[in-house]
Amino acid sequence: MLKEYRRLLPWFRKYLPMYIPGIICLLVTDAGLLYIPRLTKEAIDIVAAGSPDLQLVLRLCLLMTGIALLVTIGRFGWRYFITGSARRIESGLRSALFQHILGLQPDFFEKRKTGDIMARFTNDMRAIRMACGMAVVSLVDGVFMAAFILVILFVNYPALAGWIIIPLPVLAVLVLGMGRMLGRRTKRVQESFASLSSIVQETFSGIRVFKTLSRESYAVDKFSESNDEYIRRSMSLVRIWGLFFPLINFLAGCTTLLLLWFGGLQVIDGVITPGDFAAVLSYLNLLVWPMMGAGFTINWLERGAASLSRVGELLDAESDIKTENTYGQPDEEPRGGLEVRNLEFCWPESTEPVLEGISFSLPRGSTLGIFGRTGSGKSSLVNLIPRLYDPPPETIFIGGRDIRSFDLKKLRGAVGLVPQESFLFSETIKENISFAADGAPDEKIMDAAEFSTIARDLNEFPFGWDTMVGERGHSLSGGQKQRIAVSRAYLTDPEIIIFDDCLSAVDAETESNILNQFIKKRAGRTSIIISNRTASLASADLIIVLEDGRISARGTHSELIEQKGLYRSIYRLQQVEHERR
Amino acid sequence: MNEDKIVKSFDPAVMRRLVGYLKPYRIQTLIASAALLLLIASELLVPVIIQHAVDNHIMTEIVSIDGLRRDSLILLLLLVGGLAASFVQVYLMSVAGQGIMKNLRVQLLEHTAGQSLAFLGSCPVGSLVTRITNDVETISELFSSVIMTLIKNFLVMIGVIGVLFVLNVRLGTVAVITLPPVIIITLIFRKRARNAYRRVREKISAVNSFLSERVSGMKVVKIFARETEVNRLFGKRNGELLAADFSEMYVFAVFRPLISFMSTFSLAAVIYFGAGLNSRGAVSLGVLIAFLDLVRKFFRPLQQISEQFTVMQSAIAGGERIFDLLDTEDRIPDCGGECRDLDIADGVSLSFEDVKFSYKEGDPVLRGVSFEAAAGETVAIAGYTGSGKSTIANLAARFWDADEGRILISGIESRNLPLQLLRRTVQAVQQDVFLFSGSIRENIALGREFTDQQLLSAAETSMLRPVLDNIDGGLDYQLTEGGTNLSGGQRQLIAFTRVIAHDPPVLILDEATASIDTETEKLIQAGLKNLLENRTAIVIAHRLSTIRDADRILVLSSGKIIESGTHRQLLDADGFYSNLYNLQFGL
Repeated sequence: MLKEYRRLLPWFRKYLPMYIPGIICLLVTDAGLLYIPRLTKEAIDIVAAGSPDLQLVLRLCLLMTGIALLVTIGRFGWRYFITGSARRIESGLRSALFQHILGLQPDFFEKRKTGDIMARFTNDMRAIRMACGMAVVSLVDGVFMAAFILVILFVNYPALAGWIIIPLPVLAVLVLGMGRMLGRRTKRVQESFASLSSIVQETFSGIRVFKTLSRESYAVDKFSESNDEYIRRSMSLVRIWGLFFPLINFLAGCTTLLLLWFGGLQVIDGVITPGDFAAVLSYLNLLVWPMMGAGFTINWLERGAASLSRVGELLDAESDIKTENTYGQPDEEPRGGLEVRNLEFCWPESTEPVLEGISFSLPRGSTLGIFGRTGSGKSSLVNLIPRLYDPPPETIFIGGRDIRSFDLKKLRGAVGLVPQESFLFSETIKENISFAADGAPDEKIMDAAEFSTIARDLNEFPFGWDTMVGERGHSLSGGQKQRIAVSRAYLTDPEIIIFDDCLSAVDAETESNILNQFIKKRAGRTSIIISNRTASLASADLIIVLEDGRISARGTHSELIEQKGLYRSIYRLQQVEHERR
Repeated sequence: MNEDKIVKSFDPAVMRRLVGYLKPYRIQTLIASAALLLLIASELLVPVIIQHAVDNHIMTEIVSIDGLRRDSLILLLLLVGGLAASFVQVYLMSVAGQGIMKNLRVQLLEHTAGQSLAFLGSCPVGSLVTRITNDVETISELFSSVIMTLIKNFLVMIGVIGVLFVLNVRLGTVAVITLPPVIIITLIFRKRARNAYRRVREKISAVNSFLSERVSGMKVVKIFARETEVNRLFGKRNGELLAADFSEMYVFAVFRPLISFMSTFSLAAVIYFGAGLNSRGAVSLGVLIAFLDLVRKFFRPLQQISEQFTVMQSAIAGGERIFDLLDTEDRIPDCGGECRDLDIADGVSLSFEDVKFSYKEGDPVLRGVSFEAAAGETVAIAGYTGSGKSTIANLAARFWDADEGRILISGIESRNLPLQLLRRTVQAVQQDVFLFSGSIRENIALGREFTDQQLLSAAETSMLRPVLDNIDGGLDYQLTEGGTNLSGGQRQLIAFTRVIAHDPPVLILDEATASIDTETEKLIQAGLKNLLENRTAIVIAHRLSTIRDADRILVLSSGKIIESGTHRQLLDADGFYSNLYNLQFGL
């Protein structure tokens, strides 16, 4: 378990100047807490002795208040220093983790669910914070108090101490054991809660389907079933939870009971005095918390270790694509034509190539069309150009230089890819468009919005281009999302722009409008257009047809429709439909 | 609906209504209350028994081992009794809390799902999920733990004050003197803690939503190489969270120690004044010792009480949000006593008579639409985006009610048909497929009883059969959320199968606009043809083939039907349609 905590060593070292005063504050607090009962006892003894010296009592009471003040400051201090450090460590670790995953490449995110990554930022961070904060407090507190009190008890009352502390180890074991059981059951309850939430989510996302088929009752039944399961699991948690604190109280009470019986007998036998009896009673009260704390501490530390290993797994994850270039000149901007030479590409952990023997050359300023069936490798090919996946060395060149020799940030700045699925952030439309262009002036943003024709939809939105997108805002149609994504890439004015079938939800008229304008405005820079419509590719300087990861044909539109092959047959299919009117 | 509704004051109406849910659990609540009293009694009796044993059996002239044994046994009984009572109390109240939660959840979901699409469309799904899951959870916590602990703490504190005054009025007054500052501190703390807690929640959700968006949109971040910028924005939010965390910590780091300081201060005051009173014979030593214990007992619950108030407040806020939703009545009115029945044996016709409609007042979408689709006829509707095509589907299935005009189903006005019957008869299907996690069978049947035979023959008709034969488990193949483990074409075929299995006499199909590769397109076309056969169909067309195959085409522009006829006729007329056709499908 301790192995995992090695990862936190640098953090502990950094916050050592916080932990040390924190622990001192904690010890001061404990000492004060141990001292106050003694003062009380002294005062009571004075009163019990008859005709008390009130001055003396007053002095004791003032001392008591003074110590209480010290304890108050001590308590504030350990919270500030120790739990404060824990929160700082949590925050710092969260930041470090985020920075790390920002450096990871898309292949990493494809393998993992967002929820899974999020869990490491939320629940696991909380567990680590508990381990760095409360676990440290209760460990120090428990060890100090327990050691101190046990020493007092065994030194002064060896015959009694052995009996009365019997319930305490039981208590610690119980807290530990039940704590684990609680942890397991809580986890099961949480899982069930998550599935309950996702059913509600699905029900309301698909409410139209249920209403259309008049099957709302099905959704209710399904929910009801999952709800029953959730209640069942909750109740199994409650059965343990309901027993937890009462059992702790009971065991703590048992020490009192043992004291009453054995201590009472010893008082009767004259082994100890009544004053001793009262003192042991108050020490026992102070011992309960550290014993309980011991159980909690172990739980916190265990959970913290488990969380640390999960977080560590992410922190150790490495990307195949290295941001730092190993050769070449990092200052150079990627400029010039695109060339692909004998490219073969397999997915990581696979030996079957998705792209094979791809070669073509595209002079600066020309337009490439890529045509092919779903799954033929079109998207894979264009994803390699901004190195979202890493191509083999010496296969893709811009301006005659291997793209792997450019600075990654510069390369991606020069290649604007608009993917098939448009992803927008829950921000305003304007913020989404200007996502990649810092401080772009309003006219430029507006120009980009005009370009994709999203501008003419703006007055349909409640707040124009300050309308929020998504869950909490305006829901956009697929075509509107795609056009915003196109504007976003257009605004950066990249050296090479790639449209990966990204206007599929826009009607044909608008698509051809956008593409016509696009080719006009792109004069002098390189463009790549993927489409299923042969008509959309008609004006490209070069079209390559992909089949099963290989180029099966190449040429201009007019050349391709003269050759036998996929392009011509699809063209004819589309043409026949056109002519059948 | 106000997501962040903040309850400023304790709203007794909401509390009363919440407590009303306890009614069915009267017996459990009663037993739990009795157990609670037993628990309080046993807690208060423990020191008394020890005192008794010490005074009467140990520290007297005549020691009594029998007496000590008897008191020890009583103590053991009290401890066991306390254990049993507290378990019974927690368990029974949890039973009540969980039971309330169970019913409330189902009631909420059922109620909400019954509301009109107009209403549901205005609520973000996320906020409905929060209502039905988290808000209900807080309320359950209120019942299962908070109410009882609050009552217990109050009773103990009041009991302690009572006992103090019974034992000695003057010393009692001394002990209580520290009370006003304690109350003031608690009140201040409560307010601060609530604000601090709220701020922390806000910041946590800001950090989390930022994170989850950037993680799921990581590809976009990468494409534009925005890592530095994104990291800076995250750092800003993370820093704000840390600041909020700290301000929350300060509140607790001041309050908790302050209360225990007041406790010790109160103790010192009692000792000093007690000593004085004792020397004048006004207070016995036993009473003084009892006071020390009682003062400690008084302060212990204070540490918790303020936090429990916070839970209670959030439960009330949650309750208010839930009641808001439960009190919403925005259903499509189902016909009252005059429901008509429908004979579907000879097919069903659908007609619109001068229908006018607007979603927003002053912004008409349909401006008087009339047409008739005879039984078995396929009518296509063509027009630009925004011409009102989808609205026709929404009105025919009564997701919305027309402002003016009538919609007739086989000559009967649709408002006069029971809503269930209407929706079974007229089904408006969007080709934008919605699939949920579960088997293909579940996705098709949606809880209706179908034999495998029926399902497979529906799959045959929709051309889904070859797909089923090629995947593991066939009908029992498990789909992920949204059916993302199937291709787009396969998803559409499942949606077609769904419609064929449920077999509505009238189908209104809103075709998807997304372009699909030509081969998938062909597959879908074949399924579509079978789907439209033998039923009255209105197709909001985006697909060339659908338009060509329709019996009749209605051309919609700005909420009015401007042309109507067959594909040929309309093209020959060389009007709006031929223009639209050339733009939309011209190659």
